[in-house]
Amino acid sequence: MPDLVTLTVDDVKVTVPAGTLVVDAAKAAGIEIPIFCSHPKLDPLGACRMCLVEFVGPRGSKLDTACTVRVSEGMTVRTSTEQVKAVREANLGFILINHPLDCPICDKGGECPLQDQTMAYGAGVSQFVEAKRQKQKHYPISDLILLDQERCILCWRCIRYLDEWEDKPQIGLFERGGETVIDTFPGQPVDAATSGNIIDICPVGALTNRVSRFRFRPWELKKTPSVCTLCPVGCNLRLDERVHELRRIVARENLAVNDEWLCDKGRFLHQYVDHPERLRTPLVRDAAGEALRPATWDEALHRVIEKLGDIADTNGANALGGIASARVSNEAAYLFQKFFRALVGANNIDFADGSAVKAQPTGLSAIADIAKSDLIVLVGFDPSEAAPVLDLHIKRAARRAGAKLLVINPRRIALAKYPGAYLPVLPGGEAWDLNGLATALQAARAANQAGSKPAPAPTGKAKLETKVAVMAELRPAYDLLAAAKAPLFIYGPDAARGQLGKLAVTALSNLAVALGFGDRLAYVGAEANSQGARDMGLLSDTLPGHQPVTDAAVRERLGKLWGVQPPAEPGQSYAAMAAGGVKALYVMGANPAATVAGAEALHKLDFLVVQDLFLTETAQLADVVLPATSFAEADGTYTNLERRVQRGPQGIKPAGESQADWAILAALAEKWLASQTVDTGEVSKAIEQPDWKKKRRKIKAGPAPKPWNYPTAQAVLDEIGKAVPPYASLRWDALGEAGVQWSTSALVRAPRRVEPVDVAPIAAAPAGSFTLVSGPLLWDNGPLMPYGAEQVRKLTPTPFVALNPADLTMAALAEGRQVTVTSAYGNVTLTLKADASVQPGTAWVPANLAGAPAETLGAVRGEPVSVAVKLV
Amino acid sequence: MTTWQPVLLANVNRPNSEKITTYLAHGGYEALRKTLKMSPDQVIAEVKASGLRGRGGAGFPTGAKWGFIPKDAPVKYLAVNTDEGEPGTFKDRLIVERDPHAILEGVIIASYAVGAHRAFVYIRGEFFLGVKRWIKAIADAYQYGFLGKNILESGFDLDVSLHRGAGAYICGEETAMIESLEGKRGEPRLKPPYPAQAGIWGQPTVVQNCETLVNIPHIIGRGAAWFASIGTEQSRGPKIFCVSGHVNRPGNYELPLGTPLREIIYEHAGGVRMGRSVKAVIPGGASTPFLTADKLDVPMAFETLAAAGSALGTGAVVVMDETTDMVEVARRVMSFYVHESCGRCVPCRLGGHNMLHELDIIASGQGKRANLARLEALTRGIPGITFCPLGTGMCEPVASGLKLFRSEFEERVS
Repeated sequence: MPDLVTLTVDDVKVTVPAGTLVVDAAKAAGIEIPIFCSHPKLDPLGACRMCLVEFVGPRGSKLDTACTVRVSEGMTVRTSTEQVKAVREANLGFILINHPLDCPICDKGGECPLQDQTMAYGAGVSQFVEAKRQKQKHYPISDLILLDQERCILCWRCIRYLDEWEDKPQIGLFERGGETVIDTFPGQPVDAATSGNIIDICPVGALTNRVSRFRFRPWELKKTPSVCTLCPVGCNLRLDERVHELRRIVARENLAVNDEWLCDKGRFLHQYVDHPERLRTPLVRDAAGEALRPATWDEALHRVIEKLGDIADTNGANALGGIASARVSNEAAYLFQKFFRALVGANNIDFADGSAVKAQPTGLSAIADIAKSDLIVLVGFDPSEAAPVLDLHIKRAARRAGAKLLVINPRRIALAKYPGAYLPVLPGGEAWDLNGLATALQAARAANQAGSKPAPAPTGKAKLETKVAVMAELRPAYDLLAAAKAPLFIYGPDAARGQLGKLAVTALSNLAVALGFGDRLAYVGAEANSQGARDMGLLSDTLPGHQPVTDAAVRERLGKLWGVQPPAEPGQSYAAMAAGGVKALYVMGANPAATVAGAEALHKLDFLVVQDLFLTETAQLADVVLPATSFAEADGTYTNLERRVQRGPQGIKPAGESQADWAILAALAEKWLASQTVDTGEVSKAIEQPDWKKKRRKIKAGPAPKPWNYPTAQAVLDEIGKAVPPYASLRWDALGEAGVQWSTSALVRAPRRVEPVDVAPIAAAPAGSFTLVSGPLLWDNGPLMPYGAEQVRKLTPTPFVALNPADLTMAALAEGRQVTVTSAYGNVTLTLKADASVQPGTAWVPANLAGAPAETLGAVRGEPVSVAVKLV
Repeated sequence: MTTWQPVLLANVNRPNSEKITTYLAHGGYEALRKTLKMSPDQVIAEVKASGLRGRGGAGFPTGAKWGFIPKDAPVKYLAVNTDEGEPGTFKDRLIVERDPHAILEGVIIASYAVGAHRAFVYIRGEFFLGVKRWIKAIADAYQYGFLGKNILESGFDLDVSLHRGAGAYICGEETAMIESLEGKRGEPRLKPPYPAQAGIWGQPTVVQNCETLVNIPHIIGRGAAWFASIGTEQSRGPKIFCVSGHVNRPGNYELPLGTPLREIIYEHAGGVRMGRSVKAVIPGGASTPFLTADKLDVPMAFETLAAAGSALGTGAVVVMDETTDMVEVARRVMSFYVHESCGRCVPCRLGGHNMLHELDIIASGQGKRANLARLEALTRGIPGITFCPLGTGMCEPVASGLKLFRSEFEERVS
């Protein structure tokens, strides 16, 4: 409980926690003290002297900076005396001596603290007629950010952000005195993954956004509060629209999620929304071998209904399947699975890393818990690449709160440099190490409880001090775990795929349970709505609300809601469907044809529908292509990695005739239901109708599905509240602008029991070959990256394979050469790189590079893959 | 004329004065032996009783500073400030080059008193000879057992290393010096915390000027009472005065504090060149205000100079004779400060430039009354609002020039 301190600011008494800075105390009293260098999220600096105020003391009053002085009891502060006003005026005068005053062409103009404060506190006239100092202008400090040293007022906010939050001090001060400028270090552009935040916090127009530069004037923008859908953190952001174009994205504060930060992908990758290659009308292919041609929605949807109906009639419902993406909204995910379960009558629904991954359904207990943890265990999860804002929180915890990191990963990821331990593993070998640790910790705990019966620790948890035989290489990890008082366990899909992944997750869960922290175990998926997709039951074996399809009571409950019960048999997985397990496939936002093998399998389908933003490799093979909207163009909710359901409202008019994913599904369902009702009245109009509208199907035996009536996304969310128990209270209005975390319950809860696992160590790749390691890369060639701005596209590397420098030397290979990488699943040609973070004996090929090399080699199959690397 | 047998500079004119053998031959490291038989608290008490005040410019009581170092802190540091850069000051350079062991002995005693096992010597980068001699002195001290593990069988350990500055005046400010020592850009830190709480690498740190430390062996060796018997009420002990400017014999003069300025100029430094009269004196380095000829009888001590409207500063006496152009003096001093402003805070970085700009115009004879008015406004506006004292210090010579020699400025403008 912080002590409270009462002080007087301009005759207003205000009580604030001890340690508060005077500038913040004044704000609490409703009094604004102008600032430039001070920033609530950065350490005090005291450089700009704008916040000088008078402190009245027993020996008279003295000036000091409100941004560096902390409150004390009985303090008296005056913020608007003549002296204070004179100082502000003088300081602004000094700052403006060399400031170019090019506001009419400056992006910051209109939302610029220097402009605002000059108007509010400045002299109004300039005393200086001399020439201004000339420095570097519009000069790139990275592909994404331009620096104008003349506009810069040297507040150090960018310097401090990169140092204090990113731990990448990539901007520094150069020269001295009046010559001082900020700049990057020679040959080292800013490459921090969240560098764009320095644009937001720059109090002038010195740092500008190269993607959005000159594309807006702040006062002309329509601003919509929304969320990012590029990774599962769900950072809050603002969509700035003008004349139906998404001009800019800026961060929006949500202390529980992203503080006030965004990563560069979230900020700069938005031009795809307005990209000329967006699908603007539905497309249909009239016969195999013919080209896709534009069609009306009516025609395209009827074509889908007719074909799906025919195939279902001939081959049964199980011949139909749906592959979706965890990028889509909860509403789209929910209606997608409902379409298949209630109308088609099959559980053939999945998404990449869906049923193939054993995911702890409860997600992270809270992002805020990161700062309260003393040990953060990361298994097969690289936040620096997969979730950069989570990475910021973790680095902050490591640097400011003394949290230790235990990194278990085939690659020495960037976070492994912080205090703690790094445990190298082979892909699929996580289970062996985790099980070793879990067993040792359980044994130690049992020994402590059975042995001398030491007094229970204050937390009620037994102390784990007994010496237990632990393999030497596990010792550092064991010691960290045994000493942890508030650990957090996070794992990602790379450690959780397939049979080996299931074992690893069970072992990790056992480890967490053995320490008494089962509720601090979290799975973080790869896509933005991974959590929501699972909550919605976008899985072949799981119904909405994380209940198995085999649960009759749940099926009955859903049957009442839908009119029809979902089938009891688990459906086909993504891999099974994509490999030809179905005759007709409905793909929403996924791209199984990215690999050659994947495309070949799709060729065998009788019918393929693709719903997407762009004509992906998969869409190019489709019989019907349905144009969908991006997150910015339609209302929807998304559930982030801490189960926070957040609103993503429409901020811009949809491209062409594209429609929201959920709306397409609702329209399709309406037509499906209509096609099943024989309407003789229609026959008289048959002459005016094209053939595809005449056909009607017989109603199937059994109960009829209830009509789909969703005028809005909010109506879908209302039904989700009925289908998914934890969402019961989550109405659109209740979510507000900060979102709401759904509560875990008896049905969906943390693991509590230790489950026996039987694991064997993983064999290293045979001599002369390497074990393939893959994982996320922030600037990969993911589905939207090719449609980003040029500056963003540039960040994607040429497809490469990286080996440990020692392996490179041993194999007499040279960096930069073209090599053929071959596995049992395929071969690819890549550029060779040396990378010390890659462990000896392994070969690193990031996921989602152009041409899908990692996927072609079989990286996401959840089993160890060995590859040979040969010069081309 | 005060007769004073030099103590601090006793060795500097001996042949091979920098050698450890010379130092030992004249009683060197005896005070250290005595110190190691005392308790650290006794050493601090002795220094407190001596009344020694820091010789780097601020005049903070040394014993009190040592007392601020938390006793229970596991790691403490001592830093020696040899970044002598105040215009007119050249005392530390002499000792560093000619008698490094005198400082080193003080370093070891001070480290023992505060419980530091690591001391850093931050030396001005341009002191090439000084650096060489310091490195040799440290190496010799290790060899003789005055440094390293278990110094003179006392159980006390101390390591000393040297760090060269890169030419920034601001690094003479203790927190900027610490930043520079840590390998960062030399800029002052936000205070509090003060170095005594969180200095080098965040650990409690004592920062002492080089001359201050030279006094320590003598205080221990001859006793606090001896030291306190020298000087004035609030300014005890001997002090090195660096006399420069228009005098016949410029140089370092060690005299008791309280020696009158007139005596220093006329009797020790041989009087003003060509028999001219004094127009102005800077008594304590460029950041102290001018004294006019009528103030020459002021005793050179902290309290008396403060009463005379100036300060003792580093004891650098810069004498200007009747032919001196005070506008030019102000302009030269100002250009020094503008060059040395670190650039951190707005008033110093930009206000200094502004002042120099106005001075340039006035000195060129093109100035108008408005330039003078603006200059004057700046000298009033900048002090007290800058991040560190440099910004305030830069206004002193101009403000005091305007106050004492206003007519010279007014004659230049139309």
